[in-house]
Amino acid sequence: MGHIELNHVTKRFDNGHEALSDVSVEFAEGSMTFLTGHSGAGKSTFLKLLLGADIPTRGRVLVNGVNIGAMSQRRLPYYRQNLGVVFQDHHLLSQRTVFENVALPLRVMGMRGREIARRVRASLTRVELLGKEHLFPRHLSTGEQQRVGIARAVVTRPKILLADEPTGNLDPDLSRHIMDLFSRFNQVGSTVIVASHDVSLIEEMGMRILHLEQGRVVSDQPGLNQQAHDPAPDQTDVEET
Amino acid sequence: MVSRFKWLGWLRDHGRIAVESLHYISSRLGTSFLVWLLVGIALALPAGLWILQVNMAEMSADWQGRPGLSVYFKMQTANSQVQDAAVLLGRQDIIDEVVTTSAEEALEEFKSYSGLTGGEGGLGDALTLLDKNPLPASLRAYFVPGAAIGEVEHLINLAQRQPGVAEVVVEKTWLERLHELSRVVSRLGAILGVLFGLGAILVTASSVRLAIEGRLDELRVLKMVGATQGQVRRPFLYFGALYGFGGGVIAAMLISVTLVVIEPPLQSLLGSYQRELNLAGFDPIFLLVLLGLGSVLGIVGAILAVRQRLKDLEIF
Repeated sequence: MGHIELNHVTKRFDNGHEALSDVSVEFAEGSMTFLTGHSGAGKSTFLKLLLGADIPTRGRVLVNGVNIGAMSQRRLPYYRQNLGVVFQDHHLLSQRTVFENVALPLRVMGMRGREIARRVRASLTRVELLGKEHLFPRHLSTGEQQRVGIARAVVTRPKILLADEPTGNLDPDLSRHIMDLFSRFNQVGSTVIVASHDVSLIEEMGMRILHLEQGRVVSDQPGLNQQAHDPAPDQTDVEET
Repeated sequence: MVSRFKWLGWLRDHGRIAVESLHYISSRLGTSFLVWLLVGIALALPAGLWILQVNMAEMSADWQGRPGLSVYFKMQTANSQVQDAAVLLGRQDIIDEVVTTSAEEALEEFKSYSGLTGGEGGLGDALTLLDKNPLPASLRAYFVPGAAIGEVEHLINLAQRQPGVAEVVVEKTWLERLHELSRVVSRLGAILGVLFGLGAILVTASSVRLAIEGRLDELRVLKMVGATQGQVRRPFLYFGALYGFGGGVIAAMLISVTLVVIEPPLQSLLGSYQRELNLAGFDPIFLLVLLGLGSVLGIVGAILAVRQRLKDLEIF
């Protein structure tokens, strides 16, 4: 699981605003892609559709051939257990320790305590926070909190990792460090999609960049080691950069 | 094998959430106690009425009160006239059985009931001083079950026209009244049970709703990491069960205190009827049912709150 395809996807809200307009795009298994665009360009809606938190008004979101928009509420949680999600504001639980925050997805999956402890330690080691597992999030810096969020997202070894502005609150050095972490997870096989408006940092990474404007993909720039993706035939305003 | 692991995971999740819920409830003891008190009062009233009804029904069944009609004859009425009246009444459709008591039998019965058949200075002595038997002959006609009021009126007229009859009394004994009162209490208890049960559900639902509002961020994260609907709502069902269970404990305490308070005057009342107080109903099974009912009502309240609030909860 890790191949993603959006097929003529449109998302229109009840107030008539069209967050995504006829978007067709594909993400190969094990690829890493950055979604860029101004605020309101449709990046978060894009990720929400992938997470199954919303359904497209038209078109299909396919993950390994399965239409997420048509998935039953009963199956959706099990699909989400294969995803890792990172937010700009971490969404850490303030009443729980770092360990408990990272362990949460594993508890949801019904794992045993010993296995949970092993995986949480491994995950915290990867984000260089081992030794801080008994602290509460309020005792950590913003960068550390973000890394706890990443540790929680990767602790289940997800096939797909989604991040929505993960470096929004961080200084350039920390941002680069966080992006390097995503790159490392990508190297071990996860399909990674990161929404960010930090263009300079994204270009440094040398990965595929999808640029969204007013709900449309206006450019699809391949990574250094990737071929350019053909724009969807009916997206006439897509620019190859 | 996979299925076994799944079940173990499910059980582990329940165990962990039960402990967390206990911790949550105990860390907010003031609020929890208020909820327990409200649920407890709501449970105690119908449960107390049920105990009252059970005891009233037992008393009336124990003393076997039967509705009927008593006919008292004038003094010196011949036994043959008493027997004639008994035969006539016995032929009526609404009469199940007729029992006659001659003046002599009435006197013997009186002596026997008063327990004074000879002692010095007592009522027994007083009776021996009288020239003649002061008690009249009488008969008691028992109605068939479900006798209509109109038919009873006809029977009274018939009895009053018989020679030698001094008085006809259709008197419901206090036991019959007790029996009817117990039916009233039973129905009242059922109605109050439904109303107060609903109250207990609403109290729990409101409290669980507050708990949900305080943990919305956590619920969003849980949904994001793939928690099923059951996993998301599980802690709140435990809250509901614990609120209900605690309410059941409070209800049991309220009822037991009430029984202790009313026991002396009730014992005194029954003593005047030569009866002993044997309270029924407040036993271990009653307590288990009360605690179970409280828990179930709490869970129902929690389900209502969870369904209402979590239905459209967005992840972010």
